[in-house]
Amino acid sequence: MIANQVKKHPKPHHQKLNKGDIAFNIVNYTVFLLITLACVFPFYYLFINTISSNELVSQGRIQLIPHQIHFENYVQVLKINGIFDALLVSVARTVLGTIWTVGGCAFLGYLVTKQEMWLRKLWYRLIVVTMYFSAGLIPWYLNLRNLGLVDNFWVYVIPGLVSPYNVILVKTFIEGLPGSLEESATLDGAGYTRVFVSVIFPLITPILATLCIFSAVGQWNSFTDTMMLMPSGNYYTLQYLLYKYQNEASSLAALVRTTQDSSAMANLATRQTSLSVQMTVAMVVTFPILLVYPFFQRYFVKGIMIGAVKG
Amino acid sequence: MKKRWWVLLTLAVAIVSLMFPAASVYVHRQLGEETAALFPQTVSIADIVFKGADSLPTDAVPALGVLQFIGIALIAGLILMALGAVAALTGGKGSGPVGISLSTLAVACLGAFALQVKNVCGSLLFTLLLSVKAWIYVPVAMAAVQVLLIALMMRGGRRLGWSDVNWRRLGGVLAIVAALLMLLPAHVITAPDTITDTPADAARITRTLSLLTEALGSEPNLSTIAREEGVFSQVLTGDLAALEPYSADGNNIRGVFMITTSTAGPNVMLLAGFALLVLCAVLAFIPKADRWFPLTFSTLAVIMIGASVIGVMSLSADDMFATASRQLGQLGLGVITPVPALTLVAALGAMLCGAMSVHYANEPYFVNPIPVRSRMRATALVLALAALVMAILPGATLSFYRPNQTRVQSTAAIGGPQALLFQTPDEALHPKTNRGADIYSDEAATGQYTASAVEEIVRGFSNSYSMMNWAAIVLIVAGAALLIARRSKKAVIAFLLGALLVRLVSWVTGSAQMPKDIALVSPTAFLYISLPLLTFSAFFANFADQEELPRKYKLFLMMLPFLLAVFLFSYLPLFGWSYAFYNYKFGLPMSQQEFVGFRWFTEMITNPGHRENIVRVLRNTFAMSGLNLATSWLPMVFAIFLNEISHTRFKKFVQIFTTLPNFISWALVFSFAMCLFSMETGIYTKFMMGIGAIDKPVAWLNSSSHIWLKMWAWNTWKGLGWGAIMYLAAIAGIDQELYEAARVDGAGRWMQMRYITLPGLLPTFFVLLMLSISNILNNGMEQYLVFQNSMNKTTIEVLDLYVYNITIAAKGDTLYSFATAIGILKTVVSVTLLFSANFASKKLRGESIV
Repeated sequence: MIANQVKKHPKPHHQKLNKGDIAFNIVNYTVFLLITLACVFPFYYLFINTISSNELVSQGRIQLIPHQIHFENYVQVLKINGIFDALLVSVARTVLGTIWTVGGCAFLGYLVTKQEMWLRKLWYRLIVVTMYFSAGLIPWYLNLRNLGLVDNFWVYVIPGLVSPYNVILVKTFIEGLPGSLEESATLDGAGYTRVFVSVIFPLITPILATLCIFSAVGQWNSFTDTMMLMPSGNYYTLQYLLYKYQNEASSLAALVRTTQDSSAMANLATRQTSLSVQMTVAMVVTFPILLVYPFFQRYFVKGIMIGAVKG
Repeated sequence: MKKRWWVLLTLAVAIVSLMFPAASVYVHRQLGEETAALFPQTVSIADIVFKGADSLPTDAVPALGVLQFIGIALIAGLILMALGAVAALTGGKGSGPVGISLSTLAVACLGAFALQVKNVCGSLLFTLLLSVKAWIYVPVAMAAVQVLLIALMMRGGRRLGWSDVNWRRLGGVLAIVAALLMLLPAHVITAPDTITDTPADAARITRTLSLLTEALGSEPNLSTIAREEGVFSQVLTGDLAALEPYSADGNNIRGVFMITTSTAGPNVMLLAGFALLVLCAVLAFIPKADRWFPLTFSTLAVIMIGASVIGVMSLSADDMFATASRQLGQLGLGVITPVPALTLVAALGAMLCGAMSVHYANEPYFVNPIPVRSRMRATALVLALAALVMAILPGATLSFYRPNQTRVQSTAAIGGPQALLFQTPDEALHPKTNRGADIYSDEAATGQYTASAVEEIVRGFSNSYSMMNWAAIVLIVAGAALLIARRSKKAVIAFLLGALLVRLVSWVTGSAQMPKDIALVSPTAFLYISLPLLTFSAFFANFADQEELPRKYKLFLMMLPFLLAVFLFSYLPLFGWSYAFYNYKFGLPMSQQEFVGFRWFTEMITNPGHRENIVRVLRNTFAMSGLNLATSWLPMVFAIFLNEISHTRFKKFVQIFTTLPNFISWALVFSFAMCLFSMETGIYTKFMMGIGAIDKPVAWLNSSSHIWLKMWAWNTWKGLGWGAIMYLAAIAGIDQELYEAARVDGAGRWMQMRYITLPGLLPTFFVLLMLSISNILNNGMEQYLVFQNSMNKTTIEVLDLYVYNITIAAKGDTLYSFATAIGILKTVVSVTLLFSANFASKKLRGESIV
């Protein structure tokens, strides 16, 4: 009788709380609350510093609550020469790079499930093994240079075609699907491409969504590639500008002064400083991630769970 | 509100938005107070278009006159948008597709308008004069909304009920539209007489070019005019002082004029695109012709025109229509009208309609209905065309550098009829900059290269290119002939692959034999023409045939491009390991590098300076990896305790926000750090001084104290929540009955955590631990790079960062070979560790981890 009742409640910890449990809960909840706060607070802190009076910020008087709220920082930052172009480059590489990588890995993941392929195992291993070694920075750099990809926008996109880890994920996922659907399409006369487009692709969208998110976040966040591969200053991304501003505070201040119109210069509260520009650019970079994050959080979880299968 | 009202509303919004300020005006101080006073603070789109001369003082800045031309695009776009709305609202049969077509064309027009205004306003000549505001994008956004709305109207209620014939006709109409558009002006070239020498010169330059005249190459382009007639002599002779008021600094102007505006010569792709469009239009209206033909030809047309107009398929876009046009805009010398964009959209539309007509036909879906014979003939035709294109077009571009400079100074195309006759174009043999100076004259030669040496190298490349080009053409023509003769399909495919391979080899060997500080070889035409054409025709010929390639090879062929990519980007760099055995100097060909054997490897130990650095860097690497390894159980504990929280919402809340830091870049993390720990303003200083823990501000970031701990803390902050997810997933997989059984036996919360959850997680923990041990040397460089500064450099430099610092980031001596040697050892150690870990795992747990 009791056993039956227990089975009906999937959360057995609730049954009865003794003093020890209550103490445990209080401590546990508090600790997690603090950890969460520690994770969120920097975002909040940066944000209130960008919308508060720049004069107060530079005196270090904005700590927990914003004062004299204004949005001039954002308006001014978007006027800085190069920021808009950098935004375009960032968006372009994120969109194109994601489509290219996910499309490529999806199709390749499908191809490597085909047992009848000539020397399939060899090719598959050749692809997978690239996960475990790298040629090193200099050979990598000189290789891209020899291929004519340095100072070229497409270096953000093209080398990402095959990502072994993604291929494994897609392959594992496809192998988990019932084979009968594919068979019936093949009997109807569909070729491999057709089967992939009309049968497999719709079925693997969950895993592709996960890959999309990871790839998009990776593309959006990367800045070291811009640093090394764009020596003559074309195709800077937003992330790289952020990194650059952090290192060149003085030239940034000069840039800010030339961009600003005189009315804004007069007002101390909205006058741009190199700190305010850095923080605002950082916020501009963060917003897209904060915007999409809540919607796609479940895909992250799903993705890493699938990944856990293979390690 | 009904959808039709929404359509009208978007149109109204688009029109009203013309009145709002579209650009702010900032007058550069070099133009002076008086000129500044002439300019208004802001201008609206309507101002720009309808009274440009009045609203903006074009006398002061003549190049602004260009803006008035752009108005045509706006007006055309608005008219198209209105027509689209009307078509959609009449509600007749087929009004939807027509409405969508017109509105999409409007999007192209308005988009071209907005981009062109932005282009001109952001041009280097008037930097900081105008800055575009969001209003300028409102019309194009509204047109896009209109497309969506009409699409929604089509979906809801009334079914389309269009037959394949109707789609086909619409496709034909769109193809005609696209072909006609190619006759309309695409470039408007004009020049302010401040840049040219006399007003007469300005008049000589002013002209309009349609896509077709562009394609035929019948008009001299700007660089030809400038070079031969010297109309920009101020610029060409380097007298830039007169131009300086228009630019933030004179260097901009210098830079701009170094770019060639366009290379001469007929553009076969545009011509072919035109021909294909006409063919598609004709076939669309012949009911007997197969419905696959319009689809095929319009697809090819889209490839051709798209490659030319957008430059999508080229890796180096230096002789592309798009580049030339952008440069025109930047120079204030002219504009592109929306015609190229419209052409492309119309051709795309024709292609889509073709696809729809195939889709709606009442025939089995998967079967290609064109008889094999005609398919083969069509393919052979395409192949012959490809061979022709290869024979006529330049197939490679040489980008020349001035000695000791990295910026491209001059480009020259190799290939075309000259290559077939084994001749080398003069501009390749004697590269000149746009301003006339010889890049390689014997006086200007570097240590290694005299002008005659350059000539010899280029001639060698050109000859081998010519040979390869002949081989490729012969192979393609042979393949086409075999197709017509209906010989074995395998042989045909082998011939085509052979041709591709030959082109690839000619490019790879070409770039290998060309010293990198003289010139780069880029495979221009090869990539943007041959590849799509060949793959397309091979695919088309091979599609559902009786005499099929065995499936195993077919699959392999599909796989081939991916394998090539893996080879290019993962295996090819391994050849770079050879640098470790040379004293590698950047830019020299391998044959001229000094071979040093294992010197770099022994120097790691014998050279005291290097040894000291290596030891220091390894200590940092091991310390920081070690700290992370020693605390790698944290995520597991985090997960175990989080699992004890029964309030689902709270659990979810914690999980969401603790994973968030994983998704931001290290640059951003550093922004946080800078903000929180800033010496003057950060909350850390304020707080610590508030509670009296410190009495004066501490430089938290600019110090070397506890740097390992600090790095560990940031790493944990970023990765803790994320790392826990995998363990939470593992906990979810633990059998619930175990807990019940334990409870029945009287186990409390701690006992359950200790004896059920923890053992359940250990396998996962073990696998992750092994992987991180094998990655002990690869702790990445991003984190340490952003936190690195002169104060903490000695203690923060990990192996990866060290390699970067002594090579790419180094100002003076670059130790390429030494860094490569380090990289090799690092990979060897990592792979060994990985296999040891795998071996250990197999022994201990009976399963492998890789």
